[in-house]
Amino acid sequence: MAIQEKLATGRGKYTPGYPNLDTGPVDYEDSISEEFFQAEREAIFKRTWLKVGRMEQLPRNGTFFTREFVGLGSIVITRHTDGEVYALHNICAHRGNKVVWQEHPTNETQGSARQFACKYHGWRYGLDGKCTYVTKRNEFFESLPDDELAMPQLRCEVFAGFIFVNFSQDAPPLRQFLGEKLATELESWPFEKFTNHWSFRTKVKGNWKIGIDALLEWYHPAYVHGRFLNTNVAEAEKLVPPMDSYHYDLFTPHMLTSVPGPPLLKKKEGSVGPAKRDMNWAYRLFRAGLFGPDDVREDLGHLTPNRNPGNVQSWSNDQYWLFPNLSVQLWGRGYYITYQYIPETVGTHAYEVDIYFPEPKTASERLAQELVVDSTIEFAMQDTNTVEATWSQLNNRALQTFHLSDMELMIRQFHKVVRDAVAAHQAGSEK
Amino acid sequence: MTTTVDTSLPERFRALEPWVADWDLATRVERYEKRLTKTIDELQDFYDAIAPLAEEAIAYLDTRDVNALSGEDTRLLRLLYSMIMVSYPVNIFKQPRIPDSGAAFFDTAVEPAL
Repeated sequence: MAIQEKLATGRGKYTPGYPNLDTGPVDYEDSISEEFFQAEREAIFKRTWLKVGRMEQLPRNGTFFTREFVGLGSIVITRHTDGEVYALHNICAHRGNKVVWQEHPTNETQGSARQFACKYHGWRYGLDGKCTYVTKRNEFFESLPDDELAMPQLRCEVFAGFIFVNFSQDAPPLRQFLGEKLATELESWPFEKFTNHWSFRTKVKGNWKIGIDALLEWYHPAYVHGRFLNTNVAEAEKLVPPMDSYHYDLFTPHMLTSVPGPPLLKKKEGSVGPAKRDMNWAYRLFRAGLFGPDDVREDLGHLTPNRNPGNVQSWSNDQYWLFPNLSVQLWGRGYYITYQYIPETVGTHAYEVDIYFPEPKTASERLAQELVVDSTIEFAMQDTNTVEATWSQLNNRALQTFHLSDMELMIRQFHKVVRDAVAAHQAGSEK
Repeated sequence: MTTTVDTSLPERFRALEPWVADWDLATRVERYEKRLTKTIDELQDFYDAIAPLAEEAIAYLDTRDVNALSGEDTRLLRLLYSMIMVSYPVNIFKQPRIPDSGAAFFDTAVEPAL
């Protein structure tokens, strides 16, 4: 019996277990309407905690990096001399020039500095954003305040080494927003030990939610990625685990799905045999595949009791979806990936894939990482291309509502949470 | 001569010397770009040349300190990275580019130094 068949548990459908989700067709207006997009930016992106980076990007006091968020603005994230992390609007208090940039104003930058100097008229700012020096101050007037001039601070909090900002002063603290369950389960992963880092970025022609939808279900792999599995679609379908072998936990607004995967290879003994033009041979040679390296490091302590909370058989990874736009995927074979989707317009978003391994101790460990990274990106390219194909047609409004299967319950939940957040914000501001 | 040293591999792997000019590339970005400039026949030729030596090459590199590899050893490691880069085209896609990815491309913002 194939491992996939063995994984079937025979449990019923998941979606009816969440009565708020409904099982009817879903209207995708929330992904194509310009008006909804603007409302969503106000209701969600200007009021929710957004990941902007990791502490490894601020290795010492006095280091900084910038993030450019189309429609939200440019942000500078700094580590001050006291070790405190600040997020600042990247704007000069004099006439609004962007303060921190190199060569091209729209490109992100990073480095270390004792203070920032505006390129326009030389005003200077500390790493906490406070204005420390106004050039030719005596040419100004009495109305120039002494101690209020600053690059304005945004709220900034660090959780598990991830740096988050919030454009709103009214939002609840980050940990409260994440919830104790999500926070505890994520926090037990030793993120700081995973410093061998690859970062990939692309721009996708499609609404950001359509991008997320593509990774919220396990219906598509046999079709979108069929050639990785088997060129015969009927055979490829058999290689995707059955729906009931996954674990779902929708703790609004966040979500978790845990995923099964192939069993680990046995420890290497003897030769892998003569060279073949065969990917399975290459996987055995490099001891890795899409699900990670086969030789799992035992010195990292990443398999804590919080992993695999749904007791998935042949467990592979826990995929946490942090509302609104971040997924943190913790892999049993000793690495983690984050996916982030940053809306730019109703029909475009920036998509960022970051892959983190421990520092390799041997060449073969490093080669296994390379194969995992290559596999991940090959798959991701097919996914993003499919997102563009979907959005180009959705946007025509030839069809307006779509039928989602039980396999797509997280998509149902995700769009509902977004719509509810927009509705709640609009109701609140109409009072 | 300096030029000889710059292009050489560890002695047991000198048979791979003809592939150094194309595939001794420091970054994944360069390896991916190289892959797209080649025909599938050319990718297969490289794969077929390195695959029979790959297991021995990995075992050899594992006897070295991965953080202090010589120029020769680094070159061999990079050829193995390039073998990984061509392995999906050769073994699965039968073409340099992954199928159905026409518009998709990822920029690399960060990758490890080695």
